[in-house]
Amino acid sequence: MEYVILVLGFTIGFYMAWNIGANDVANSMASAVGAKAITLRQAIFIAGILNIVGAAFIGSHVTDTIRKGIVSPEVLNDPQIALVGALSALLAAALWVSFATWKSLPVSTTHSIVGAMIGFGIVTGGFSVINWAGLGAVVASWVISPVFSMVIAFVMFKIIVRVILSRSDPVGTAFRLSPVFIGIAVFVVIMSFVFKTPLGKNLALSTPMAFLVAFVCSVLLGFLGKRLLLWFRNVRTGEEGAEGVFRRIQIGTSCYVALAQGANDVANAIGPLALIYFLVTTGEAGQTVPVPYVLLLFGGVGIAAGIAMGGARVIRTVGERITTLSNTRGFSVDFAAATTVLLASKMGLPVSTTHAAVGGVLGVGLARGLEAVNFSIIFRIMLYWVLTVPMAAITSVVLFKLLSLIL
Amino acid sequence: MRIPFFSLFITSPFDALQDHAEKVKECAWAFQQAMECYASSKCEVFEDHRQEVIRIEHDADAIKRRIRGHLPKGVMLPVEKFQLFQYLREQDNVLDSVQEALNWLSHRMDNGIPEILERDFFLLVDAAIEPTEELSRMVGEAQIYFKNFSEKQRKKVKDIISNIRQMEHDADQREYALIRKVFQTETDPITVFHLVRLAEIIGNIADHSENSGDMMRAMVSK
Repeated sequence: MEYVILVLGFTIGFYMAWNIGANDVANSMASAVGAKAITLRQAIFIAGILNIVGAAFIGSHVTDTIRKGIVSPEVLNDPQIALVGALSALLAAALWVSFATWKSLPVSTTHSIVGAMIGFGIVTGGFSVINWAGLGAVVASWVISPVFSMVIAFVMFKIIVRVILSRSDPVGTAFRLSPVFIGIAVFVVIMSFVFKTPLGKNLALSTPMAFLVAFVCSVLLGFLGKRLLLWFRNVRTGEEGAEGVFRRIQIGTSCYVALAQGANDVANAIGPLALIYFLVTTGEAGQTVPVPYVLLLFGGVGIAAGIAMGGARVIRTVGERITTLSNTRGFSVDFAAATTVLLASKMGLPVSTTHAAVGGVLGVGLARGLEAVNFSIIFRIMLYWVLTVPMAAITSVVLFKLLSLIL
Repeated sequence: MRIPFFSLFITSPFDALQDHAEKVKECAWAFQQAMECYASSKCEVFEDHRQEVIRIEHDADAIKRRIRGHLPKGVMLPVEKFQLFQYLREQDNVLDSVQEALNWLSHRMDNGIPEILERDFFLLVDAAIEPTEELSRMVGEAQIYFKNFSEKQRKKVKDIISNIRQMEHDADQREYALIRKVFQTETDPITVFHLVRLAEIIGNIADHSENSGDMMRAMVSK
């Protein structure tokens, strides 16, 4: 019986990973493809590889059994119930993400799995097992991450317009200032690598030390990046203008987002699966469980499969239709999203890259950088962000009841 | 499968704005031909040209409605939405003036234009149509400006606008000279009324192009 659940868990876990790949690939690669920084084929390939690498090598080898500690682990005392619960939570989250993708709404996969786990927690342990402060942080993130990202994207784009685009020689200025822009992008990337990814946490750098390392690296890479830009310009002398400079920078930021996505989001699919795996092999589970390499790799491959099969169409359509998202805009959105996710996770908020990216797009729109952005749609999108937690919870409860009858 | 980010982006109105400007150009050319036909003694295809203009105007109207109908509340553009609508209205007025001129001609088909004034009318038509041909290019260059925000590009748009203004001024001069000449050469009050009004309506075509340019100037101002 337990092996049936394990097989089911692997299947549904793969489905969830597939969904993450299909749905969230837009976060990392949409702006780069939309801005024609890379081709569709390159985007699929790069995103797939980086997600697998991120998941298997940077992804956490110890996962919270219930993401973000919003549900108390006492609900796991009975292994049989915990097995069914983890399975139904996984399926509920996967169904919700599928539904959101079908309705073309950007929702957070992290919040889906959190909601599903809350549903399972309530049905087995009552409302007392819920950590309300943790749930409050989720609620706060619905507003904080998009607003924060919107402000950063707005300021970033205004600065680019002011100091580069409106100058008499935008290309020359862009090259001259490229170390600055590469530098701050590298700074954010290194800081989030140190603080956000599990591998970085293992390095255990203190905050001032991390600042120093990131600063030195960003200065060095900034000038190295400028060298590379100039070298590439000599090789291919195409009339690209200032956008061409940002095109290269943007490839870097997109790759980072794909890598971080693999590292962080793999736990959404693999966390509950690891719980099932651990329960089946050892018969009990606590606050955290170890995650074997195989599972992380399995999750990474699942995400890559989702990117290759579902994501291809997503990125192609985005690339064709969102042409207004040129490289300077794309860079502003990427930068704002990465910075927001970094700062928010430093504050302990469970933010979603998706929410931050939506905020970034709106910020550039507010700075009058986009030909047509629909602001009124944001309320509908936010409604689905709010609905994510209760809907995943309810689905999880229903599935739990059904599965309890069968298994 | 649909796309999570899609609902945020809607179709840009600028492409449609340029389509509309192209219609203005087509319409102006059809009007020029109709005018030539009208002046010649045996014109049989005038009505065809008029129908052609009506058809183009109808197409342009559909584009106009599509632009207005597809910018929901809360949409964010590089320019104020009402500025865009004002621009569109002026550009559409160019078409209306062309159509009005043709209608006015059609009310008095038999007499045509006196030979002595023919050349002046052709010159006026050419002068009035010249600025309308610049509109499409202006919209295209402005769209590029809203993409790259380059000062050089802004200058390009501003140059086209001042060019249009100059052309409108020339058309005005021709219009006044023509009206003066009508009063000097014609004695029949009905003919005078018909020709003077015709010159004014043709002058309006250039006026509305200039107004479009002024609206564009407001849109690209910093």
